[in-house]
Amino acid sequence: MEPQLQHAALPSADHDEAARQAFVQSLKLHLATKVVPGNREIYERRLKPDFERAHGRPPADRREVAALMRDEPYYQLWGSMQRCSQEMMHAAALDSVTRQREALLARMAPPADPVGSLTLDPAVAAPAYVTAVDIHCMPGGYMGDLAGPLYDRIVHIYAMAGWGPDNGAMGRTIADYIRQAHPGLEPRRILDMGCGIGNSTLPYADTFPGAEIQAIDVSAPQLRYAHARAEALGKAVQFRQADATATPYEDGSFDLIVSHILLHETSGRAIREVMAECHRLLRPGGLALHVDLALYDGMDPFDAFMLDWDTHHNNEPFWGTFRDMDAGALLTGAGFPADGLVSALVSRSGNAAHVFSDKRDSGGRRYWQIVGARKAEAAQASAA
Amino acid sequence: MTGTTPGPGAKARGRRPAFAPDPNTDRLVSMLLALAGEVWVLRERLDTVERLLARSGGIAPGQVDAYTPDPAAAEAREAARAAYLDRVMWIVTAAQTEAAAGETPDSYQAVVDALAGRTAD
Repeated sequence: MEPQLQHAALPSADHDEAARQAFVQSLKLHLATKVVPGNREIYERRLKPDFERAHGRPPADRREVAALMRDEPYYQLWGSMQRCSQEMMHAAALDSVTRQREALLARMAPPADPVGSLTLDPAVAAPAYVTAVDIHCMPGGYMGDLAGPLYDRIVHIYAMAGWGPDNGAMGRTIADYIRQAHPGLEPRRILDMGCGIGNSTLPYADTFPGAEIQAIDVSAPQLRYAHARAEALGKAVQFRQADATATPYEDGSFDLIVSHILLHETSGRAIREVMAECHRLLRPGGLALHVDLALYDGMDPFDAFMLDWDTHHNNEPFWGTFRDMDAGALLTGAGFPADGLVSALVSRSGNAAHVFSDKRDSGGRRYWQIVGARKAEAAQASAA
Repeated sequence: MTGTTPGPGAKARGRRPAFAPDPNTDRLVSMLLALAGEVWVLRERLDTVERLLARSGGIAPGQVDAYTPDPAAAEAREAARAAYLDRVMWIVTAAQTEAAAGETPDSYQAVVDALAGRTAD
C-alpha cells in the first residue's frame, strides 16, 4: 500500500508502533476483501432463498435483512473482528501519538510566516452530537488535544491508504466533479464546513488556485493541527473555529460551499440548520455540495444492511438516521429550488471520471454520494 | 471544551455492542486479534534484527543463549511485558471501564434516539 505523505506536523512512529499500525491496516484489508464477502454468500445462497420460499418475495428492506443475518455466527464473528480492528487501529495510533504529546503540541504552534491563518473562538461550543460518544471509536473524540494528529494517522489506516498519501482523495474527487459537471463555476470564495484536519480542504487550493478558501470546524484542537498541516504543505487556507449551523460570515459571501463526511456526524436538527446556513451564505447561483457515503434510498437491501453496521457497532449514532433521509426534501426545505438539486455517485478512485448512474452492484462503500443544490439566481429568488 | 486525548489503553466512550451471544466469545476474539498483532510486531522486529545482523556480520553461535540482560534491560523488558499484556487483555479492562461508566445498550440507543430528534437533542 502507498505510504502516507510525510509532513512536519505528522506524528512519527517507532519500530513497534509502525509494525502495529501496519498490522491493523493489513487486518482491515483482509477483513474487507476476504471476510466481508462471506456475509453475502450466506445471504444469497441460504437466507434469501429461504425467505423467498416462506414469503413469496425477497426481503424488502435492510431491517428484514437484519432479522435474517443477526443470528448468523459468521456475521457475528465478522462484526466482532471488525469492531476489534477499529479499536486496534486507534490503540496503535494512540500509543504513538500520546508518547509524542509535548512535541506534537509544540509543532501545532502557529508558524511565523503563515500563508494561511487560524482564528479560534472559545465561545463556540461542541454540540452534543460531537461529544455524546467518541465517534467511530476514537478515544477522546474530536475535542481531545491530540485529535488532529490522531485522526491524520487513523484515517490513512482506516481507508487502507485508499484516500491517497495525503488523505485528500475526497476533496480531489469533488473538486474534479465540479470541474466536469459545473464547468462554468469559477469560485472566488469557497467554504469547507466541518473541515477537521483539512485533509479534504487542501485539494481545493490546487484545483481553484485563485480562490480564497475558508474552512470551519467546532474543534479547536483539530483546527490547530489543520493549520500546522496546511502550512507544512504550503497551502493557503483560512481556518476558523465556527459551528456550521451558525457561522459568522455575511449573507451571500460564498460561491461554493462543500462538506466531506460531515452530515452523518450531525443530528436531525443540526442537519436542517446546516442546509439553511448554506443557503444563507451562498451568493445567488452559488453551489453547495455535501459528500458522504451513499444514502439508503434505492440501495440494494443487503448493501444497505451492511452499510448500516456502523450505526450500532462503530459509534456512529446518526449514520443510519442520516442515510434514511430524503436529501432533496432537506435542501428544498432550506430554500433551494427543486430544479437546482444535485445528486451524483462518484467513484472513490480519486477522480470523478467514473460517475455512477445508480446504486446497483456497488456494495455501498465503493463510491461517494454527492448531494447538494444551486441557489436560485437573484431574479428567480426575488420572483419566488 | 477542549479535552485531553486519553493515553494508551483508553476505551472510546459509548457502550461496546455485543456480537456473539456469549460476551466472553467477543472478548476472546479481541484477545486473539491483539495476540495476532503482537506476534506480527515480534516477527517484524526479528526480521529487522536479522537483516541488520546479515549486514554487520552476525553473532556467534550460543551468544543468544548466553545473554543475560543487565538490570536496565531487565527492567525495560518487564515494563514491555506488562504493556504487552495490557494490549492482549485490553478487552477485559474495557469491560470494567464500561461498567464503571454505567454504559449499557440502552445508554447507546438513547444517543441514537436523541440525535435522530426522537428526544431532546
